Amino acid sequence: MSGFLRALVLVLAWTQTARAHSPIVGVGGFYGGLLHPLLVPAHALSLLALGLFIGRQESRRGPTIIFAAALIAGLGAVALAVGPTPAGEILLADTAVVGALVALAFVPPRPVGWLAAAVTGAALGLDSPPEEISIELATIVLIGTGLGACMALALVIGLTSYLRRDWQRLAVRIIGSWIAASAMLVLAVRLTR
Amino acid sequence: MTVHRRLHAIAVAAALLLLTLACAPACAHTGSMSGGFVGGLAHPLFGPDHVAAMVAVGLWGAFLGPPAIWLLPIVFPMVMAGGGVMGILGLAIPGVEIGIALSAVVLGLMVALAARPPLWIAAALVGVFAVFHGHAHGAELPPGADAVAYSVGFVVATGLLHLAGIAFGLLARWPAGRIAVRAAGAVIALAGVGFLSGMA
Repeated sequence: MSGFLRALVLVLAWTQTARAHSPIVGVGGFYGGLLHPLLVPAHALSLLALGLFIGRQESRRGPTIIFAAALIAGLGAVALAVGPTPAGEILLADTAVVGALVALAFVPPRPVGWLAAAVTGAALGLDSPPEEISIELATIVLIGTGLGACMALALVIGLTSYLRRDWQRLAVRIIGSWIAASAMLVLAVRLTR
Repeated sequence: MTVHRRLHAIAVAAALLLLTLACAPACAHTGSMSGGFVGGLAHPLFGPDHVAAMVAVGLWGAFLGPPAIWLLPIVFPMVMAGGGVMGILGLAIPGVEIGIALSAVVLGLMVALAARPPLWIAAALVGVFAVFHGHAHGAELPPGADAVAYSVGFVVATGLLHLAGIAFGLLARWPAGRIAVRAAGAVIALAGVGFLSGMA
């Protein structure tokens, strides 16, 4: 038997049941929080939309700082045990609007960009309540979530800012339209079911 | 067969057997084959009427050239989502199935006849049909589906069908390719007639 086959048999013998993204067995606490914005599809979609939107702007620092501040405020409210909010629905509506702005290549006045960043950050924070019972562990998860969201947003903004060719800008607009369409559909589902 | 080859075949068979034993039902987050990203991605691809119309949109966009070539794939998903929202909310639109079948006939004919109407007419025509397609798919959204992943898959599949149409439509730059693209439009229109009459 060849080495390859021996390795294959060994790998297969160790194979476990395939699982979807959540829950990740063995990943919790800080790292669970860090990955949370990427593993919740609605959050990942909103970060992608906002990143594409800010990445196309001339001034990127302002909306990024506002997003981070609003996110910290939202996570802080969660830490202070704020009650249930419609943050999930607001986040989807915001994602649809931001995706549409990207699709239409519309550059709004700066305050509109700041508002979009603030709404996304606050809604994302409020929609990320940790499942941990201990206050200490929940705080660590929330810190991870904040860092993960900021890092993901910074990554998308950075990559988008490099997309300067015509076909790349067109691809960004197409992705924006797909995000807007998806968010609209999901929002309708959330509001009806 | 040599001894070495027999051993090799047995080893492969053993590996495949182990693979079968090791596999368990996929634990997707919806608990349903119809849900999730893959469900949404597959849904438009298994509707021949939807496939025909989406490809026709791409073909026509490529035929019309800029700005239609990029305007249609950007606008279509958002207008389609508007129709999808109407379907999800339960707002009835009369003749949805007829509208979908007609979309293949009309858009296929536009390509076959190499029609070049003003952009706003082309956009309005495609937009009207997008509402029908979106409504049908919105109403069919499986209740147990992971809505975000399903919707993203569904929209991406629709967009990729457009891009496939555009890619094929780019052949229209050459004389022989132009004939091929127009012929594809005629095939789509004929298929649409089949959808309308219930033969396809």
